[in-house]
Amino acid sequence: MSDENKSCCSNETGEPTVTRSSAPMWIIVVTLALLFTGGLFFDSHSGWFDKNIYAPYQSREQLESFQPKSGAAAAMARGKAVYEGVCGICHGSDGAGKPGQAPALAASEWVTTKGFNRLAHIPLAGVAGPLQVGGKGWNLNMAAMGAALPDEDVAAVLTYIRTAWGNKAEAVTADDVKKVRAEIGKSPQPYSGAQLQAMPE
Amino acid sequence: MKNGFWVFLAAFVALGASWLGLVYGPLKQLGVATETKVLQSDAKWPQARTGDATLGLQVYRSAGCAACHTEQIRQTGAANVLTITETGSHQPADLKGFINSLSSSVPELMNYSNAVAANLAGWNGELPKVLYRGAADTVVALLGDKLKAVGVKTEARVVATGADIARPGWGARQSVAADYLYDAPVQLGSLRAGPDLSNIGVRSPDLNWQLQHLYAPRSLVKNSTMPAFRFLFSVRKKADGPDAADALVLPKEFAPATGQEVVPTTEARQLAAYLVSLKAGVPLYEAPFTPITAAK
Amino acid sequence: MNPTENNTFCPNEIDASCRVPLLALFGGAALWLVLGLALGIAAMLSFHQPDLFAGCPFLSYGRAQAAANDLLFYGFVIPAALGVMLWIFARLSRSPLALPLVPVAAANLWHVGVLVGTVSILLGFSTGHPWLEYPRAAAVLLFAAFMLVAVSAVATMGFRLNRELYPSHWFLFAALLWFVWSYATANLFLVSGHPPRGVAQAVVGWWLANNLIFVWLALAGVGIAFYFLPKIAGKPLASSGYALFAFLTLVFFGAWAGIPPGAPVPAWLPTVSAFGALLSLIPVIAIGIIAKKTVCGAKVPCRGGPFCFIKFGVLGFVVSSLLYLGEFCPRASRVLEFTWFQTGVTQWQLLGFAGMILCGAIYEILPRVMDRELPFAWLVKLNFFLFAGGTLLFVVPLLLGGVEQGLKLRDAAVPFADTGAAALKFLRVSTTGQLLALLGSLCLLLNILVMTIQWKLGLVKCVVTAVTAPLNAPEVKS
Repeated sequence: MSDENKSCCSNETGEPTVTRSSAPMWIIVVTLALLFTGGLFFDSHSGWFDKNIYAPYQSREQLESFQPKSGAAAAMARGKAVYEGVCGICHGSDGAGKPGQAPALAASEWVTTKGFNRLAHIPLAGVAGPLQVGGKGWNLNMAAMGAALPDEDVAAVLTYIRTAWGNKAEAVTADDVKKVRAEIGKSPQPYSGAQLQAMPE
Repeated sequence: MKNGFWVFLAAFVALGASWLGLVYGPLKQLGVATETKVLQSDAKWPQARTGDATLGLQVYRSAGCAACHTEQIRQTGAANVLTITETGSHQPADLKGFINSLSSSVPELMNYSNAVAANLAGWNGELPKVLYRGAADTVVALLGDKLKAVGVKTEARVVATGADIARPGWGARQSVAADYLYDAPVQLGSLRAGPDLSNIGVRSPDLNWQLQHLYAPRSLVKNSTMPAFRFLFSVRKKADGPDAADALVLPKEFAPATGQEVVPTTEARQLAAYLVSLKAGVPLYEAPFTPITAAK
Repeated sequence: MNPTENNTFCPNEIDASCRVPLLALFGGAALWLVLGLALGIAAMLSFHQPDLFAGCPFLSYGRAQAAANDLLFYGFVIPAALGVMLWIFARLSRSPLALPLVPVAAANLWHVGVLVGTVSILLGFSTGHPWLEYPRAAAVLLFAAFMLVAVSAVATMGFRLNRELYPSHWFLFAALLWFVWSYATANLFLVSGHPPRGVAQAVVGWWLANNLIFVWLALAGVGIAFYFLPKIAGKPLASSGYALFAFLTLVFFGAWAGIPPGAPVPAWLPTVSAFGALLSLIPVIAIGIIAKKTVCGAKVPCRGGPFCFIKFGVLGFVVSSLLYLGEFCPRASRVLEFTWFQTGVTQWQLLGFAGMILCGAIYEILPRVMDRELPFAWLVKLNFFLFAGGTLLFVVPLLLGGVEQGLKLRDAAVPFADTGAAALKFLRVSTTGQLLALLGSLCLLLNILVMTIQWKLGLVKCVVTAVTAPLNAPEVKS
């Protein structure tokens, strides 16, 4: 308490004072430089508030380039996409079929065959006339929905229907589809139920 | 300045701006999030915990486990990897030459020819062989197609990389917001005095292992500094007849006196169920990787 | 109390008006400091002797460490800082403390809240959020108490006789708003019936931790230092413009740090925090320069007294803040995150910065406010060396151990058990430092306790003397 004036009623209370001058220029320049650097850093690393971009990814394009595109899962995804766009309209996205429109594919003995041959003929050439599916009789026409699709897509969609909705059968490769297509030739006629039954599985 | 009002205003605006940016913004973006889908699948993520596991989170919170354990995995990079799995009818030397000539002749591959050549240098034909590991997915796709055309089977994968991911069993990708959707409170942790737990349910899926580890950590992990959570268990006299079904089987130096057995309390069981439920690592859109599927 | 003809109050009157509120605040703060350090040592014992508290749930590491951290911050730092703030406001206003009974009630509410909170954590009712472990009941008590103190502080500031605001006013006034808003927000969102889903809770938690442990601590500590440094050195504070620059950059940029780089949140959050942390380097450096300019050239030796405490504290602020902000650099965090380094930095902020400044301030204020010398003036010097040495011995091994642990964690070939073992030898030294700091805090508690007892005894003596004084002869009626 040495710097305190102990006698009462004095104006000098010993409170601190402050000199009047401004902040030096250099620190303001440094602040602006850091603001600029930080802004650049934000621009490159923040993904601009996108809720799907996590470090180390820096942009949507970069994140897309690291999405897995091949492999069994990717093929399934592709098959599903093709199915929903082409087949699901009649056969249903749950594979249950629609009465009067298309038979079910789920638990269908035509789909879960051991081999792929008979099944592959159906989308590549189409079906016409009566046939039995799961004990029920159907008598409708199916166009060759897969004729215009590339081999990979046909293979993907066949794999998809053979493994979805509880079906358990082996996948179909693009080569398999290529072989069947070569067999059928261009502009085939739709097969009848009897013809299909006569084919090897 | 003379006016306290200006001080108040400066502080108010500063804190208000930070509140908007770091509280309100994230609450709007993350706080109302819903489930997301596992990549290339219909499965939902995350799976809600059930029964004992949900109550176990409260035991975890109450015991302060987050003081020593984290539940978050970090990732510092990602790579598109192309691996040769079968060489078909080609000899390794011919294949090397073919690939090197490909990468120097095809325009899109020319920037990567050095990387590919470096990977192939000294290759004796052992499989699988990593051909390319980097950021360019176009290289992987192009090279993969060209090799398929000559009968060489390749596998393209996306992997996440980082020091945490390199540790076996810690997880295959970084933790993201979707992983914590059903946690209340979120127990991220901030110190790794003990290992990260986001994938402990896969590393140590046995409930009995978890219970024994809680009772006597040093019986399973030598030199562990984890405190023994003996207060989660009760030591009681053995009843006549066969051992109780849930009594812990302990090595001699950790077992109680003869005639006594160690039985977990409800809280111990709940905590063990919670720990076993901690499984990370399904691929998501925001944290992609190629899961390892069983060979056909 | 009325002002003299010159329209000022005597410092003695101002100090006397602060006596009871400050004793209530400081007394509790010193007690919680001792308990907090002791509990922290008990927690760290779990690493040296893991089976020590195996059967005792109250002292298991998770509970004890959380309780110890909260005791240090909520039990010691905040009440001590509030007490010093009230006194500084009164002195700078040149008028006595306004509404002096309000802070007394507030102090009692606050200490009850801390007690309820600590017991709840040890019994297992912690909320699970770092720095917010006190359950709702305790949080409400703390919030109410803080508001009451804030009312008295703002009233004192409003009734000031000289209208010019001194830099300490800005920092301390902003600190009042800062705690109220941050604490209320975090509690409303997290410790309520419907917390936000998922990782948003962690984001609010990180925002709170940064706003309390970095920004609020800086505002309070620097505000107090900017009062005492020029006063003790006998020189004016370096510059009002500089101080204003430091204040504005601290409040505007400091509040944005907080989200760690490895966090499981979208990339924009840690990036924004890194941006904020980078810019927060400016106020830290500015404050260091202001302090240096103010103190350099002052011919006042410190001799282990309050001046030493405050100088050490400001140095501790600069170093600990630079280390803290460095944690938000993505490259640095790859090594330092999840290691003892972060623990070390937090303890440096709490003990090496806030603890030192507050101790020095208390030792400066107490003799004035109680109008008597410290009972054990030699303990102040011992306190300084125990605290300074203890804090360094506590914190530096944690920093070094954390770096080694982090480097080993980066290498997946190193088994996890080895990373823990690497840190263990540092932890042994660190706990010794904690013991020294505990001894230092006992010096503070002893001084305050004995001073309080002496004062109370003095009051009792006053009353007894008045009651037993011989009556004047004419008053005795025959």
